[in-house]
Amino acid sequence: MFSSTVAKTVFGLALSISALAATQASADATLDRIKGRGTLTVGVILSGAPFGYIDPKTQAQKGFNLDIAQALADDLGVKLETVAVTPPNRVQFLQQGKVDILIANMQYTEDRAKILDYVPTPYDRSGGAAVVRKDSGLKDWADLKGKPVCVSQGSNYTQPLMEEYGAVVKALPSQPESLLALQGGNCVAAVHVGATVGLLLQDRVEEWKDYAIPFPTELIPSDSVIWLRKGEKDTQTALDAGVKKLHTSGKLLEFAKANRLLNTEYLQQANKTLSASK
Amino acid sequence: MQDMNLTDLFVSLTDKVGLNYQFLATGYEAQIWRDGFVTTLYLVVLLIPVSLIFGLLFAACLTSGRLWLSAPVRAFVEITRNTPTLVQLMFSFLVLNTFVSNLVGGAQNNPLTPFFWVVAVVGLHIAALHAEAIRAGIEAVPASTVEAARGIGFNQLQILRYVEVPLAFRASLPAIVNNLINLVKLTTVGNAIAVSEITYASIMVWTQRDNVVELMIVILAFFSLINLIVARVGLWVERKLAVPGYGL
Amino acid sequence: MTTATLLEPRKRSDLLRTVGFVALPLVILVWSFIDLTLGRELVEWIPYLASGFAMNIVISLSAMALGTMVGAIFGILELAPYRLVRYPVVAYVQIFRNAPHLVLIFATTYIFPFEIVIFGNYLPFPDWVKAVIGLAIPASAYVAEITRGAILSIATAQWEAAKGLGFSRGQAMRWIILPQCLRRSLPPWMNVAASITMGTALASLVGVHELLHAATDASTAVRRLDFTIIAYLVVMAAFFMLCYPIARLTRRLERRFNAA
Repeated sequence: MFSSTVAKTVFGLALSISALAATQASADATLDRIKGRGTLTVGVILSGAPFGYIDPKTQAQKGFNLDIAQALADDLGVKLETVAVTPPNRVQFLQQGKVDILIANMQYTEDRAKILDYVPTPYDRSGGAAVVRKDSGLKDWADLKGKPVCVSQGSNYTQPLMEEYGAVVKALPSQPESLLALQGGNCVAAVHVGATVGLLLQDRVEEWKDYAIPFPTELIPSDSVIWLRKGEKDTQTALDAGVKKLHTSGKLLEFAKANRLLNTEYLQQANKTLSASK
Repeated sequence: MQDMNLTDLFVSLTDKVGLNYQFLATGYEAQIWRDGFVTTLYLVVLLIPVSLIFGLLFAACLTSGRLWLSAPVRAFVEITRNTPTLVQLMFSFLVLNTFVSNLVGGAQNNPLTPFFWVVAVVGLHIAALHAEAIRAGIEAVPASTVEAARGIGFNQLQILRYVEVPLAFRASLPAIVNNLINLVKLTTVGNAIAVSEITYASIMVWTQRDNVVELMIVILAFFSLINLIVARVGLWVERKLAVPGYGL
Repeated sequence: MTTATLLEPRKRSDLLRTVGFVALPLVILVWSFIDLTLGRELVEWIPYLASGFAMNIVISLSAMALGTMVGAIFGILELAPYRLVRYPVVAYVQIFRNAPHLVLIFATTYIFPFEIVIFGNYLPFPDWVKAVIGLAIPASAYVAEITRGAILSIATAQWEAAKGLGFSRGQAMRWIILPQCLRRSLPPWMNVAASITMGTALASLVGVHELLHAATDASTAVRRLDFTIIAYLVVMAAFFMLCYPIARLTRRLERRFNAA
């Protein structure tokens, strides 16, 4: 009985390693491939307006992230192809090469920078906002200690919520499920990128009338950057130039306004400083 | 502290063969992962009796011959058997749970946790499968045996209690063990509603690192082991309970 | 409990089952008509949901086809007289029969590359194909067990009898053993098919555009609680309409084979 278990383990190991070897074969010259295929494949997240959502009328993908992706593809002179990703699978999709870059509500964190590279010029700056019931009496992040908090699986808010504020994190497959879990009372707060939940509360006043975003600060406000695989310097340089252009031309601000981003302070500032340094 | 040393040794050994288990040396990720094993085991240990008790209950309703008892159970059995457990779980957690919240006057009063919903949905799903197996077992009890029991003066309830159920249980044991193996596998759907079982814990780790393969090896080995034990125990019970001469 | 008393409720519950079959869609229809704004939203999203469900069907058919082929071969190999052949196959069947479908889908999605290079050509390896493989692996393990069981269940006396009647080994296999094997393995095979079909919903968790995923997309876009509920009801109804007839047919076949 014992020996058969060992045999099974060894077999599973062998199978997995052979699969691993197959993954390592992906090419690193992403820019060449983008140009060669004539398409830029971008992983986008469709967790809701303003960043990415499916238009109910046309069922087309829309949002701030989609506009940026389109503009960058235009800048490179290639077609845009988008792949919908979710927080739990986005890093794997990038690592596998299924997508060339990620514009997927991912902020800069040190841990992420260890496994991935990023475009140094950010396209936005945002932090986490907590949606809570108005009658919950929660006033600040520290009040979440020992309380259940919903996030998305793979969210960068998991670690600070657990380690800094001692919250009991419940990670759901995506933002809609997390918000439904909040409404169902399975957590006292749902923490997501500030702009998405802010807009949701504004747009669906009736459904969310008992909820608010009461905390004075955002959780780990950091730069939203475009992520790519480690070591792809050419792609990084090309995209960095593209993002800078979008800042200076004011296009990013336009996109932000068209998609109703609530806070465009950072973009206005970046527009000024980058234009000035030119 | 010996635990620490063993962990370090394991991490460095696996690192040499190209496997990345470095998260074990960190704080919260290693904690989540270890808790994941415990939660999965806890779910399994809790779900086995829950599914068996409700399975017997359902089987009793199905074979009662009373329509008001058998019809709703029959409807439930058909729905749970023929729709994906994941959909049932999402539906219960996102929809039924909200109803319950409204019923008790607000989400803050709702005592039902994601853990409860996994136990309820998976437990009742497997119970439905048990019920079908036990019902088939009851129907397979030879009419002559029942006649004989009636002959010595047993009433309907006594026949069920002392003749049909014990024999049916033995006959349906292989199917029940099979259902229990499915039960162990089904606990993984809990990750969709943030129950911190082992796949959920692994997702939490691999989304921050890039070590899916390493975690998969452990998960597959873990489930193989649990199910090996379940199958062995099932076989042992089967032998233990075997009635000489009753060839089922 | 005599046969007569058993038959009566069975007939009635047959009627009930048919009622159950139309009840779910009926609830959805009636609700859509009571609240027309909801009905209109639903009608708008039906094509999107249908495209998702088509994916479920494609995945389950492909996974069963692949799983059955591999499984039948493995089932025969499990009985091979050579240890070198038998042991790895037995290990494969044991591991993957006991592995959760969800874990296997995660594994194939995240471990396999997104494209394969064959003679310098890039062949895309889309997610849904990975889900097919993820489900074909357990399917093949189940089918291997079914095949092995079916072959073993045919008494050796039959082989000898066939030989006595002048059949060659091949002929005996083709005309006597295989037909019986097929008949015996059809009901359990259909159970596997139903379980794999329901497993396709798990692919939503790795981002394959199937019905459950489409329903989540739709409810994210519409953002109405009642729409979310009805979307899940549609998902349940769709799977029920697909799996329930399979289950009924399986039971009927089982009963007929047991009687024979």
